[in-house]
Amino acid sequence: MKKRYVGYAVWLILACLLYFFENNTGTRIVLACSWMLPFLPVIRRSLFEKDTASQQPKSISQTIKTFAARAEDVPGDVRAYLPGDSVNRIHWKLSAKRDVLLVREQAMEKTMEEAESQAVSEDGLSERHPIKKPLFQIVFSALLLALILLLAIPLAWQGTKALLNRLFAASEAVNAYAYERLTVPADQPVWLSAFLLGLALLSLLGLALLSGSRLLALCLMAGCVLFQVYFGLAFPAWVNVSLFVLHVLWMIRRPWEKAAVLAAAAGIAAVSFTVLLICPGVDAATETASESVRDRLSQIAQSITGVAQELPAGENEARRAHTQSLITGNQEARPDREYRLVTAEEKQISMPHWVNYLRIVLLLLLAVALVVFPFLPFAVLNRRRKKALEARQAFLSEDISEAITAIFQHVTAWLEATGNGEGNLPYAQWRADISPGYAERFAPCEKLFEEAAYSTHEMREEQRQQMLDLLNETERILQRKAGWKQRLRLRYKECLWV
Amino acid sequence: MRPEMEKVLAEIEKVIAGKREVITKILTALLADGHVLLDDVPGVGKTTLAVAISRAVGLAYKRVQFTPDVLPSDLVGFSVYSKESGGFSYHPGALNDANLLLGDEINRASSKTQSALLEAMEERQVTVDGVTHPLQKPFLVIATQNSVGAVGTQFLPYAQVDRFLVRLSLGYPDYAAQMEMLKNRQDTNPIGQVQCVVRKDALISMQEQVRQVISKDVILDYITRLTMASRAHAAADVGISPRGALFLDRMSKAHAWMDGRDYVTGGDVQAVFRDVCAHRVLLKENCDKTADDVLNDVLKTVENPDRHRRGLLKQ
Repeated sequence: MKKRYVGYAVWLILACLLYFFENNTGTRIVLACSWMLPFLPVIRRSLFEKDTASQQPKSISQTIKTFAARAEDVPGDVRAYLPGDSVNRIHWKLSAKRDVLLVREQAMEKTMEEAESQAVSEDGLSERHPIKKPLFQIVFSALLLALILLLAIPLAWQGTKALLNRLFAASEAVNAYAYERLTVPADQPVWLSAFLLGLALLSLLGLALLSGSRLLALCLMAGCVLFQVYFGLAFPAWVNVSLFVLHVLWMIRRPWEKAAVLAAAAGIAAVSFTVLLICPGVDAATETASESVRDRLSQIAQSITGVAQELPAGENEARRAHTQSLITGNQEARPDREYRLVTAEEKQISMPHWVNYLRIVLLLLLAVALVVFPFLPFAVLNRRRKKALEARQAFLSEDISEAITAIFQHVTAWLEATGNGEGNLPYAQWRADISPGYAERFAPCEKLFEEAAYSTHEMREEQRQQMLDLLNETERILQRKAGWKQRLRLRYKECLWV
Repeated sequence: MRPEMEKVLAEIEKVIAGKREVITKILTALLADGHVLLDDVPGVGKTTLAVAISRAVGLAYKRVQFTPDVLPSDLVGFSVYSKESGGFSYHPGALNDANLLLGDEINRASSKTQSALLEAMEERQVTVDGVTHPLQKPFLVIATQNSVGAVGTQFLPYAQVDRFLVRLSLGYPDYAAQMEMLKNRQDTNPIGQVQCVVRKDALISMQEQVRQVISKDVILDYITRLTMASRAHAAADVGISPRGALFLDRMSKAHAWMDGRDYVTGGDVQAVFRDVCAHRVLLKENCDKTADDVLNDVLKTVENPDRHRRGLLKQ
């Protein structure tokens, strides 16, 4: 699996090198074709799929795997026989020659898909969703393609810039509209909005803490970055960097693993570098766009109400002049703007050329994050609910021993979640005094669990019922006794289970 | 506890009071068909205990008091020329017809005598002059070694200690037990009152039942993880040997059987872990921990099988 990512990384580096080479020498031929490269089977095989064959077989039948390994060198249109293949498709002649059962392949594409799904199952991700892997690859290829197209074709580059500017302008339009409609006195205290904003942030944070998910933390951080970029309001770079460092410290698994710490350090370095280098500011073009939108809005408002907006004398002219000055570079500070304005010239001088490309990459990533972001909590919740449901499914399993084991493990999970038992201690040392008489009911169930888990005895239906009763009772008692924090946590788990 | 073992225990308790726990452990080792090493000071009733066990279970009892001049031939027997037959005839030694052998102060024996005994313990047979003589079944050795006046003695080396299933220690009796003992011994020796409550062949069939006890894969996995963790422990020079793991499994089975079950649980393994493994851990030099500390650490860090299974379901 790691090899696969190395493959992707190598591919990316190659693409970048190619681009710079072409850019400097002025040729365009390889570049024109280069976007096809990720789809060429030869490269895909050598870069991405080499590892699938060499991976250690983990399960199922050893023989099938050895067949597959021996069939490595067969021509492209046959592959090793796998259980489930139609007998008609066996290539008998070749099979007899090689002493390995081989089947005719219907298309080249098929093998790769299977190799993918096989790789997925070998990664231990999930055998039931072989579809995900190709999807990932398609998305990745599409992103690569988009990136290369953007880098290669100046027109597309301009187009992207224009698109982004439109986006900014649209946000400005919204701002302007709100500004027109919801006018507030200048001396209005801001504590209420600050309070609401803080509340929203706190609730998000609380959700993340409750669910114990690191993914949500990531989302929060992404949201923070997006907020800054989208509204052009940048915290000072050092604030960003320290925010990120805090965030990474939160994300690292404890106890700290060496690899995780190294990765985090690399991540911190990369982000510090990026943030310090590309402080988000507002482009002159954006400014122009938003000014024009604002003008148009005020014109519309005029036409609707029939009353001219009460603009201070010369304000429109002042704005235009300011925008013009941005474009020409004669910038004068505008005191009522909080964000930093950077002219194109200034940028040209202060930043190396390639920073623009880096910026585009960053923005693309952000765009993807923006698309994914709203769905993430649902995805996380769904994944958890599915797991929980699977766990609950075991309660009704045909195999009663398995069911009893599963139920008892749920009981102990409840007890552990509420701090009534911990880790490696034998159950006898757990605090079973959560209510009068509970210990007396817990002890026989513990014996029952041991019998179910460690013996080969046949278990009876009423024993399962006894276990279920214990689970219900435990849930009831614990929910009644739990403090608000625990109750929230339990409620969250419960909503997953039901 | 199984009723028959309860009866045996009651008989033994007639002579030794207040040592229920240790006696149970020795009986468990007997069921697991393993040998016991008692590490004790003199005079706490090791001999009495061995005699009582052999009487209660109907075993043939032999005792060897080891001194530096006890020779291997005293244990395994020797061949002697006989004029009538004109050939060599075999004279059995102390091991040959014993079911329960008390090897007292084994650390005083010379190393070749020790090794002769330990070989017999492992193989359950003795070979003299190329002829192999099987030993009695069951064959249990209770060896004692004491550290009082140990100058000039040879403590068992690690390789030989490893062959004992458990190492136990009786220790001094508490106030009540000693008072009771003194009262009991006023006129008679109660050892005569111990009756045979379990026959030898019944014991053999119990041992067979113990062998039939089931250890599922989770348990074997737990044992393996325990032993591996002991080998990786920072304070341990040598951890639990594979034989130790084997013995741990066997002792857990006996413990489970004593508890009236035919399956081993994680609790069984934990219950016998210290007794089976404490003498198998060699500590590093300049280390301020004891073997028990190491084992406690191992028990604490290694996830027990219940939890290990649950870990798979954890959300």
